[in-house]
Amino acid sequence: MILPKFDFFEPGSLEEACDLLGQLGSGGRLLAGGTDLLVNMKKRLLSPRNVISLGAIDEMKKIDISNGTIRIGACVTAGDLAASATLTQLLPSLWEGASSLGSPLIRNLATIGGNLVTARPAADLPPPLIACGASVVLKKNSGERSLALESFFRGPGETLRKEDEIVTSVLVEKPPPNSGAAYIKLGLRNALEISLVNVAACISLNPGGTIQKSRVVLGAVSPTPIRALSAEKTLSGEKPSESLFLEAARNAARDCNPIDDYRGSAEYRREMVKVLTRRALKRAFERATGPRSL
Amino acid sequence: MRKLINVTINGVEYELGVKPNLTLLDLLRYEVGLTGTKKGCETGECGACTVILDGKPVTSCLVLAVQANGKKILTIEGLEKDGNLHPIQQAFVDKGAIQCGFCTSGMILSAKHLLEQNPSPSEAEIRKSISGNLCRCTGYQKIVQAIISVPGRTEK
Repeated sequence: MILPKFDFFEPGSLEEACDLLGQLGSGGRLLAGGTDLLVNMKKRLLSPRNVISLGAIDEMKKIDISNGTIRIGACVTAGDLAASATLTQLLPSLWEGASSLGSPLIRNLATIGGNLVTARPAADLPPPLIACGASVVLKKNSGERSLALESFFRGPGETLRKEDEIVTSVLVEKPPPNSGAAYIKLGLRNALEISLVNVAACISLNPGGTIQKSRVVLGAVSPTPIRALSAEKTLSGEKPSESLFLEAARNAARDCNPIDDYRGSAEYRREMVKVLTRRALKRAFERATGPRSL
Repeated sequence: MRKLINVTINGVEYELGVKPNLTLLDLLRYEVGLTGTKKGCETGECGACTVILDGKPVTSCLVLAVQANGKKILTIEGLEKDGNLHPIQQAFVDKGAIQCGFCTSGMILSAKHLLEQNPSPSEAEIRKSISGNLCRCTGYQKIVQAIISVPGRTEK
């Protein structure tokens, strides 16, 4: 497999990259980890005239925590996320997503920004990030905007990112005390797997022990990751219990819209949404109350 | 248009003019002549093309040669010292962990990275570390046994 011909650019700063992308317009394609773009180019699904590598922009490879906000540069790899002790403690569900993405070899290339902009319905990082209320920062040469990740996805491969914009970072508020999150992925094998179903959950507790806020996000059962709103409603203000989680899980199964394909039937996927939602809520609750709570 | 890159491969510095659409894998095999790195699926799924890039194992089929500019690359050819096999290579030979051999260089480089990070991995950690390397002969048992037997690995 030979890559189609292109011109290669490697800007050293974000400003330079924005200017270049602005000039090249639709003829320019951003390259981060390459695990998606280069495969699509080899298969001739894409033949961009210009490829702009983000690999030399150091500020996009950093994780900063300041004023209660965690800022993850878009070029931080899944491997970096999985190896970060701070993130493992603060965002265990993101750690679970990052460490189950692809294979160890792919994780050393694939970036968080790439996992978002490629907008695959079964991607591993969007559900835990949406469940934590993450937002994305988009930059172009004339300015910057941020969007809730929840509203960023439009459909398979489609996002609200405009042609001249670069996703520069992902922002997540530091989780409050007495909160916990979890991400569970179901596949047919343990590595290099695309989720059949995945579920992320996030729970914050009131001092009295009732559920103050929760989010349940389902992946691979809709054209984009979706929030299971009726499951969240079931949980709101209630005292956590096995039966409450089961009721929320049943509602989550009704919130999704899975498809039949050769990997699994819609009926099976819906059932698994129920099972995984219950397990993810239980794990998130244990983290909210257990020693990992922060 | 060719781009000039400087790369260090197995400790040797190279200055090379490369086309932007050349992968690191093809650079190693066809421009530098290091054919120990194998070309399998070419889409990042089989791990036959594993090399260690700036300290981390990656699939070289999904890295452009131009992206390797300024970086250090270790391939299977860089492991032996003074004509002696690296202890992991020797363990693969001793334990019969090589059948057709196509996955071997990738397996050994993934194992090398693991043992550097974690000198006493459990069997589960070993299996996870090679989960991106496909052995189509299905010789995983011997491969895992070989990695377990590497001298210097402490029992857990």
